[in-house]
Amino acid sequence: MTMVAFFLALALVLLITMAVGLVRIVIGPTPADRMMAAQLLGTSGIGVLMLLSTALGIPALIDVGLIFALLAAVSVAAFTRRRVGQDQA
Amino acid sequence: MDEPTIALTINIVSVLLALAGIFFYIAGTVGILRLPDIFTRLHALTKADNLGLGLILLALLPHAPDAFYAVKLFLLWVLVLIGGATGAHLIAKRALRGDGEDIH
Amino acid sequence: MDLILLLFDAVLLITLLALALAAILSSDPRRAVMLFIAFGLWLSLVWARLGAPDVALAEAAIGAGIGGALMLAAARRAARQQTSDRGEPS
Repeated sequence: MTMVAFFLALALVLLITMAVGLVRIVIGPTPADRMMAAQLLGTSGIGVLMLLSTALGIPALIDVGLIFALLAAVSVAAFTRRRVGQDQA
Repeated sequence: MDEPTIALTINIVSVLLALAGIFFYIAGTVGILRLPDIFTRLHALTKADNLGLGLILLALLPHAPDAFYAVKLFLLWVLVLIGGATGAHLIAKRALRGDGEDIH
Repeated sequence: MDLILLLFDAVLLITLLALALAAILSSDPRRAVMLFIAFGLWLSLVWARLGAPDVALAEAAIGAGIGGALMLAAARRAARQQTSDRGEPS
């Protein structure tokens, strides 16, 4: 078993893990739960992207991973924005 | 040590690190599905996942095509750590204030 | 190795379709927006698998990131307007 096939198999396992974690987005009782699951999706997505990048030989995919990392921070900030102001109002 | 032995050693270490990383990812997903309330889920999510990503990136490091790519892999992990910690703090603060419920 | 790639593609596509359906069929706007963000991330993975890193970059940044953040703000505003129309304290 070559390293390429091993990395692809790991990416497949990680993808299935991500797909199972999506259940929390669908059922999640509170919006915070859903946001948390979206963050999990981002972190696992970076893992899948990096494994694919090495296995398929596309080094440019690391930039996509960097965007994923940035995106998780931006969407969490957008999600929690102005909660304090609403409490004061 | 000759060339093939070094390559084999690197591959074995890489496989072990990647398997450990996958284990932490699976633990994080099981945690987010099975734990009872939002704070325990947050706890499971942030630590386990960032550690799993770090181990997988470490496993991919010897297979990087050039040095710049390897530096980028490391910086990616640092960015994920900072972003994940900040996001978890924000979500926890919001959940503590409003119990995670929406405004309506 | 071909088998692994085939399984990979199957999981990718089935979950993509399920996410799209869940995003369209959900009644709560905020839930729909979060499912849309997840859908954008997943679609970006599909582009990466197809060997198009630049399209994946644009999809993740614009489709899921900026679009998702704007739609979250819009959904929150809509929810607040609904409660103030009903005369309840927010």
